[in-house]
Amino acid sequence: MLLRVNNLETIFRMDRGDVRAVDGINFNIKTGKTLGMVGESGCGKSVTALSIMRLVPDPPGKITAGSIEFDGRNILSLPEKEMRKVRGNEISIVFQEPLSSLNPVFTCGEQVREAIALHSHLGRKDSKAKAVEMLRKVRIPDPEIRYKNYPHQMSGGMRQRVMIAMALSCQPKLLIADEPTTALDVSVQAQIIELLRDLREELGMSVLLITHDLAVIAQMADTVVVMYAGKIVEKAPVERLFSEPSHPYTQGLLASMPGYSVSGKALPVIPGSVPDPAKLPPGCRFSDRCSKRIDRCFVEEPPLFDLGNSHFSRCWLYSKEES
Amino acid sequence: MRMTKERNKRNRKPGSGGLWSVGWTRFRERRLAVAGAVIVLFLYLVAIFAPVLTPYNPVTYGDIPAARYMGPSFQHPFGTDKFGRDVMTRMFYGSRVSLLIGFFAVTLSIVLGSLVGALSGYAGGIVDAVLMRVVDALMAIPRLFLLLTCIALFSQSILLIIILLGATGWMSAARLVRGQVLAIKQKDYIVAAEALGAGGKRIIFKHLIPNTLTVIVVSATLRIGGIILAEAALSFLGLGVPPPTPSWGMMVFEGRDVMLDAWWVSTFPGLAIVITVIGFNLLGDGLRDAFDPIHFT
Repeated sequence: MLLRVNNLETIFRMDRGDVRAVDGINFNIKTGKTLGMVGESGCGKSVTALSIMRLVPDPPGKITAGSIEFDGRNILSLPEKEMRKVRGNEISIVFQEPLSSLNPVFTCGEQVREAIALHSHLGRKDSKAKAVEMLRKVRIPDPEIRYKNYPHQMSGGMRQRVMIAMALSCQPKLLIADEPTTALDVSVQAQIIELLRDLREELGMSVLLITHDLAVIAQMADTVVVMYAGKIVEKAPVERLFSEPSHPYTQGLLASMPGYSVSGKALPVIPGSVPDPAKLPPGCRFSDRCSKRIDRCFVEEPPLFDLGNSHFSRCWLYSKEES
Repeated sequence: MRMTKERNKRNRKPGSGGLWSVGWTRFRERRLAVAGAVIVLFLYLVAIFAPVLTPYNPVTYGDIPAARYMGPSFQHPFGTDKFGRDVMTRMFYGSRVSLLIGFFAVTLSIVLGSLVGALSGYAGGIVDAVLMRVVDALMAIPRLFLLLTCIALFSQSILLIIILLGATGWMSAARLVRGQVLAIKQKDYIVAAEALGAGGKRIIFKHLIPNTLTVIVVSATLRIGGIILAEAALSFLGLGVPPPTPSWGMMVFEGRDVMLDAWWVSTFPGLAIVITVIGFNLLGDGLRDAFDPIHFT
């Protein structure tokens, strides 16, 4: 097991009270496997990613409980200096916005070279050669020429490739891809996903893929966790999630996917929106939007029920005593 | 339309689209800015080639009874002063003092200000609070009195004036850089750099300061005018560069008693100060417009 996240809790101390952005989540990622994480905006996906990198802005954020075991050691207890050697070297992250994630005053190639030089003792010439090699690996045409381009001279897809080249330059064991295709055109999205898939095979790395796009999950993930308001509501192998979604929220997400429901009819939507994390309902967090709610949902929060076949669901519908 | 298209094509040549080359293109389009640059360049050329441009010596006295207070003529275009020295020659040499002091004092204050500002903005919290309160406290000290006291305590020299003007001028630069850093710190590429394992020092010197560099250069250029004025004021009060080294402020001071009889002694160095400050300000304004960060995203 490469990554073991146990009971992770990250809170943000705001003027209006503490906000539990991530509220006691558990998941594991095996070496070479891809875990997909889905959910609406504000459900805690990105905070989970930043928590693993230990880059939650503090203040106001803070990891208050749990452990993150990476490659056998708890990275939450590493001193900052040690953690710096993990970042970019063993765990890398690709962000959503390829435009603003590159420094505008340096050339793209120079930034890839910088990422390489940070964790290796290569000289200027060698690191430059390796940077060009990385640009070629992420399928940027004419890498020697593109090396000298500034970020504003490249398209969004090209910039995201540069970001991927930077993230993978030290061959990390775990890549966190935080909405890697959200800001891109649909045709470019497909290319980036294909690139990530190929590089994953080539480097044998594990991936934590964060997205709100179920199509991306279907193409890449082995296991999926569905998050809602800071909690995991469903966890399943990818085929099972799509064939037998158990949680009403997951069912709603799948139903609202174009091409998944009857054509010619309006797409079904989940009514309402994610609750304010500072004012969560007392029972199940999804209760006020759920179509299958029962009285118990408003009073008591459901635990994660084991449905067998590595399938888990946080819904009272699967309680043994209920059925 | 066609022209802009042509130009875009040229700019998209690999490696030519950097901040500086785009800024340079935009700078050239501004006439006043180019005029400012020409003035500044002219001043530096005069300062460097002063000995070639004039046959006279700036320091040695002329034939005092005969040559003093001669009005502008072909031999002495700007006249002579009370010691019979050629005013134009002294102005040429005086530009050395003004430009030297302007350049080094501003460099000192900008370097100091950038470091303090970047550290303060990046570190935040208690470090930021302490540094900014120090800046507030230093800004409350009346600059002129501090300068007068220090110069009275130590001997007058160009080095002392550079250090004093530099050391009393960095606070506003620190505030400016801190403000920039606070804005840039929020950018994704700073988080991205941290995610790659970059440490604080690297973030400050590789990411924060380079991205504030245009603002720093612009503010430095605008500041040089102020420093030249401060030096002139000090010299006018008799506390600037020690005589007989010519300096523009000193020359204005020397001519003030004979303003009505020998107006040229004060007027020409005074004009030189005005033109120099205007030149630097035009250049600074032009640079600011050309490197306006709105156009670089």
